Amino acid sequence: MENDITKTTLRIAEIIINELKLEDVTPETFEPDLDLVDEVGIDSMDLATIALVIRDEYGIRIDEDDYPKLTTVRIIARYITDKLSSKE
Amino acid sequence: MITVSSLLDEHWYERYKKISKLNIRSSIYDITDRCNLRCKGCFFFSSGEHEVASEETDINTWHRFVEKEMDRGVNLAILIGGEPTLCMDRIEAFYKRLPTFCATNGLIKLDRNRFPDLMVGLSLWGDEEDERTLRGKDTFTISSSNYEGDPHTYYLYTITPKQLGKTEKIIQKIRDVGVKAHVQLLSNDEGVDGFSWQPEELIDIRAEMDDLLDKYPDTLVSCKYYHEIITTGKMLGRTFGWMECPSVTEPIDKRDPRPKRLTNFIRWASDLKTMHRCCTSETRDCSTCKDGAAHMSWVMVNKRAHIKTTKDLQNWIEVYEMFAKLYQFIPW
Repeated sequence: MENDITKTTLRIAEIIINELKLEDVTPETFEPDLDLVDEVGIDSMDLATIALVIRDEYGIRIDEDDYPKLTTVRIIARYITDKLSSKE
Repeated sequence: MITVSSLLDEHWYERYKKISKLNIRSSIYDITDRCNLRCKGCFFFSSGEHEVASEETDINTWHRFVEKEMDRGVNLAILIGGEPTLCMDRIEAFYKRLPTFCATNGLIKLDRNRFPDLMVGLSLWGDEEDERTLRGKDTFTISSSNYEGDPHTYYLYTITPKQLGKTEKIIQKIRDVGVKAHVQLLSNDEGVDGFSWQPEELIDIRAEMDDLLDKYPDTLVSCKYYHEIITTGKMLGRTFGWMECPSVTEPIDKRDPRPKRLTNFIRWASDLKTMHRCCTSETRDCSTCKDGAAHMSWVMVNKRAHIKTTKDLQNWIEVYEMFAKLYQFIPW
């Protein structure tokens, strides 16, 4: 389970880096507890874009009402793994 | 990676955090197709938008419509027209449910017992002479007596080229009646002679607006970056226009590539079925559009583009704060 979360955390960081075209950071150096709104500066439109990529990749639909809760890469990764395990 | 806190000191970071999670989702509503004025340069009438839809007259339909808008995620209703105050019951349908802003010429007074904290934007197009030329009468005398000292009201002063050198008198007049002021520039959709901006006039009015802000910070709700954007039409080297505008109605936005834009934004006609193209008129040339809210939104949706330098991010914060104040998401 923890391995899954770590793997997903790295992949979410990669998605965010790619979608937001972030510079000077890699999935490995992306601080998973960094606040995405307060520190990275993402907005709801960015989150909607990221949610689309997650939907395509993991088959999970992120409810828009959940956006405010998804404040860090680690929280998003846990959200995905929880959703995936509840599907099993 | 550049982070927000790496660019800001504690004071600015606190300001950022107060607005960063507001997630404002506005839409615009034509409350009625009628008006008690006929202003030259009003995009609503000059573009024929008052004729595209037949007004919905059943108030229950308005109530149901607002409920559906809330389901769509709208958390700020911007009421325009026509003159919204001709239909108080429709204003109430929004006000009872949502943070609501009402744009009005101020000739009809909103009952503050019925709408205690409704944010009111009073349109003003210049001094007495310009008001008579463009609007047929000087509205300030009436609107200022209706809203004197009202803490939930501001004047939306649309500056025309004829006002160069005369804006301070207007801001003083607004200050003296105890309400706030916000400024934007006339787009002159009807091409009224002498009311189109020339490049050198835009340079001069930018300096004049900056000066006003320095002199009347307690009256004028504005910031210098906004003045730069609306006078130059440029932001971070990009030029405002159709392919950049954030205030296009989402379901009919076919632009490719789609720019950063307002989430779920729609401008509804008064039949509550027809959608207008954008926050102003379909006939407007986007390259000369001076709409203040569209330019503010342009900055606001491009937050990440401003997370490059301390000054850029501070500029973004000031514009967002200005918008949030004008629509009562944060205090003056």
